This record gives sequence, structure tokens and C-alpha cells, in this order.
Amino acid sequence: MSASALPFTLSASPAARLLRDRLILFAIVIGAWESLGLLGVDPIWVSAPSLIAERLWSLALAGDLWRHASRTITEAGLGLALAFAVGVPIGIAMATYKYANSVAEPLVLGLYSLPRVALAPLFIIWFGIDLFSKVMMAFSTVLFVFMLNVHEGLKTVDRDLVDLFRTMRARRGFITRRVLLPWIVPWMIAGLRLGVGLSLIGAVVGELIGASAGLGWYIERSAGHLDTTGVFTGLVTLMAIAMVGNAAVAALDQRFSGWRNP
Amino acid sequence: MDGFERASQGVTLTPPKVAVRGLDISFPGQEGAPVTVLEGLDLELAAGEFLAIVGPSGCGKSTLLRVVSGLLAPSGGQVLVDGVAVTAPPPQVGFMFQRDTLLPWASVFDNIAVGAELAGRSKAVIARRVPELIAFLRLTGFERNLPHQLSGGMRQRVALGRLLAYEPELYLMDEPFGALDSQTKTVMGRELLRVWATHRRSVIFVTHDIEEAVTLADRVVVLSQRPGRIRLDLPITLPRPRDGRALRGTPEFGALCSEVWAALDLAPA
Ligand SMILES: Nc1ncnc2c1ncn2[C@@H]1O[C@H](COP(=O)(O)OP(=O)(O)O)[C@@H](O)[C@H]1O
Ligand SMILES: [Mg+2]
Repeated sequence: MSASALPFTLSASPAARLLRDRLILFAIVIGAWESLGLLGVDPIWVSAPSLIAERLWSLALAGDLWRHASRTITEAGLGLALAFAVGVPIGIAMATYKYANSVAEPLVLGLYSLPRVALAPLFIIWFGIDLFSKVMMAFSTVLFVFMLNVHEGLKTVDRDLVDLFRTMRARRGFITRRVLLPWIVPWMIAGLRLGVGLSLIGAVVGELIGASAGLGWYIERSAGHLDTTGVFTGLVTLMAIAMVGNAAVAALDQRFSGWRNP
Repeated sequence: MDGFERASQGVTLTPPKVAVRGLDISFPGQEGAPVTVLEGLDLELAAGEFLAIVGPSGCGKSTLLRVVSGLLAPSGGQVLVDGVAVTAPPPQVGFMFQRDTLLPWASVFDNIAVGAELAGRSKAVIARRVPELIAFLRLTGFERNLPHQLSGGMRQRVALGRLLAYEPELYLMDEPFGALDSQTKTVMGRELLRVWATHRRSVIFVTHDIEEAVTLADRVVVLSQRPGRIRLDLPITLPRPRDGRALRGTPEFGALCSEVWAALDLAPA
């Protein structure tokens, strides 16, 4: 009946077991991908993990891996930070000025539904071919996530809790700092979780359209040479960056949202 | 004439702590017609008095407390606290809800300390006073716990601790122990009486538990079905200090409870 009676005696803890199973899944995917070549699929279509590893190694030695990756991370990171800094106050304003929000809502949702990809050429014209246009691409992709998340979070604030502080004659600023802002921290973290992936998408789309460095640019250039290994190397690197970002957000969540998950 | 009667008993020689004068409350209804919740309500609370209010659910008890605390503006009439008309939350009024309204991310200590902070107490005073309250409310050992790690009774004790840390002159309590099991409720009532006996603050205590009302209060007011009017205003002259368990068997206690029951039953269903 007890856990030790099960055949999984190696798993010391649930966390260790989870890690082990994740590594197994990873190995299966890599193995399946590699064996496509053995089954006769031409690597020109799907490349292969061994080819990608080789390419990563040579790019890393030449310093190119870090140059492209850091460029894309910078663009996405700045865009994400800017979207946070602008989106959170707008979300708070949307919740505070309800009528103004009702007036602007159709327009805001309309803008939200615009495919941001279509903005990329415009942003290149406006903000140039360098870093800034990609930052703005990442920013515009993530902005609405923070606005809408913070707005939603504020809608769920416990009215009685706010009223209780009002009966104790707490000032508006006190209620904002001590009740409303802590209340929406989990919603901000949820915004970050979506924002990690979206900001990378924004930055890479911008790089695909026009750039001189970055993983998007590397992918685009490789595709131009029918270098599928190059394309997959860029994609795998992007994925690794997103996974590290997600892990960081999960750590934040663990630390700051614990009160929500009894 | 009500005033004369009371003055002769020596209760209202000082101005009343709370005076409710011809209070009307109505809310916009479904089809344009406003819903009247309270109509022409007159009620006085003497300083240091413990008043319990009972009444059918939906008769406007919570609404009355919200008006007294300055959260809700009356549709007509007025409420005076210490002789001043209430237009915003008046000073030194502490509120306690049935639902625990603690900061879910803050520890027991911090949830209590915020009351002292809002009362304008210095850091040094807070550091001394909060542990005293924690000991008094038998929360020792849980200072660092978050609300979701506590039982319902403990959470309400933290809410009571915050109220005490705020040091209000007037306690407004809206079914504060209503969600607790009867044993915990009895213990909490005893703790509240202990506080009240030492500080003699004024209390308006809303409850749907008639025995609780009679055990705790100096006076029980029964409100009718909506629109809420006063059905019965019953002084409870049982000697203090009171022991809820001992009282329960006595004929005096039983008679008072029956009287309240009768007034409640009068309310048309
Ligand atoms: N903000 C509001 N808008 C409309 N109706 C309300 C509002 N607050 C309370 N009411 C109505 O007023 C009546 C009295 O409510 P309440 O004071 O909460 O009753 P209770 O005596 O149970 O505490 C109820 O019928 C309720 O639906
Ligand atoms: Mg109520």
C-alpha cells in the first residue's frame, strides 16, 4: 500500500521524479528526431539534433551565438520591461476611470486584436532597423497583456477589504500601496508568464523583417541559404531562452503568489 | 419621551455616541421603483453601551452599519456620531465583518499591526502592543502565519486583534462570529465581553443568534422585515459579568429570549 511498495523506489521526492520524467521525455524527443535521419528522411528538411549541437558549438566558439542571443534577449527584455512599466499603470487607470474605460474599450480591444506582425514594417520605418524597432515590437505585443491582466485583477479585489480600510480612514494612497498593488501581484506575474513568450515573438518578428543581428535575423538568413540546420539552431536557442524565462517567472510565482494557493 | 425615560435612568446624560434620526435608505430597484430598505429609523446608542441588533435577513442591518461607518450616504435623515453628522468615515470607528477581511498575503502580526498603524501609533508602540494583543487573543506561535494557514476562528481573532489595535471608541460588528461553530462563537463572545468590560467602548453588534444577543448586550433591538423598523427595543438587565453557559439555564434568560423570538415572529414572512 505504501509508496515504497511501488516500483518507483528510485524517486526520492515528487520533485526528483518530475525532473527525471522531464529528462526522459526530452531524451525521447531528441532520439525520435535523430532517428528520422536513420529512417531515410533527408536532413535537408528536418536537420538533426547532432547537426544542431555541432552548429551550436561552432557558433558559440566564434562568439556568434552569444552575439545573436544577447541581441534578441535585450530586445525582448527591454520590450517586456517597458510593457510592464506602461501597461500596469494603464490597467490601474482602466479600473479607476470606469467610464473612460467604457468609452475606450472597443478601440483598445480592436487594437489588441490587430496582428502585431503587420505592424513590423511600420515600426521599421518609424524606429529604424536597429534595436529600438524590435523593442517596440516586443513592447506592443506584450503591452495589452499587462493592461488587461491588471484590469481583470483589480476587478476581483475584495470590496469588503477595501471598505474595511476606508472605515479606518486609510488614505487612497495607503489603500493603493497596501491593498490594491499586493492584490494584483499574481496577475502581474501571470502577465509576465505570457509576456516572456510574446516578447520573444515580437522581437523575432521584427528581426525577420529587417535587422542586422539577432536570432530572428540568423533564422531568416539561414532559411535564405536553405540551411535548415541554421534555422533549427536559431529555434532551439529561442526555445531555451523562453524556457529559462519561464523558469524565472515560475520562481517569482512561487515566491509572491503563495498566499493565493492555500 | 423616550429621551426623558432614558435621562431619568441616567443613561443619556452625555450626548449619545450614535444617533440615527429619521434614516431612510433606498436602492434603485429592478424596474425603476426604488427598494426601500430602511424607513424613518430612529435609534440611539449611549456611550459605553452594548447594543445588539437582530432581524430577518435582508432587513437592512448591514446597510445600517455601513451608513453609521460612513461607507454609505443615507437617502434621507441623518446619522450623528458624537453629535457630528456622518458624511465620511468618522474617527475611531472600528468595523468587523462576518467574512474575515484580512490581507491574505500578510502575516498575523502584520494584519494586526496595520490597525495600530492606521491609528497613527509609532513603530515602537506597535512593536510593544501587537505582541500583547497576540497573547491576549491566544494567537501566540502563529505570528508569522498567513491567513489561509489559520482556522476560521483564528482568522476572526486576528480581525478582532486588528480592531483592538485600531483602538476605536465605537465597534461596529456585522455578524462577526456568524460563520463560526457554536463553541468557538461562545469563546469569541467571552473574549469580546472581556475587552468591553475593561474599556467600555460603545458597540453595535449585529447577529442572527438571539441567545448570543441576549448574552452579550445591554439592549437588544429587533428590526422588522424590509423596510426595517424597530419592532422591539429590549433592555437586558441581566447582571454582569455574564457567563453564557450559566445563563442559558436560567428562567430570566429564557424569558428575554422568548420576548425577542416573539418580536421576530411578528415580522410578516
Ligand atoms: N448596494 C446595494 N444595491 C442594491 N440593493 C442593496 C444594496 N445593498 C443592500 N441592498 C439590499 O438591501 C437589503 C438589505 O440588505 P442588508 O443590509 O445587507 O441586509 P441584512 O439585514 O441581512 O444585513 C437587501 O434586500 C439587499 O438586497
Ligand atoms: Mg447582513
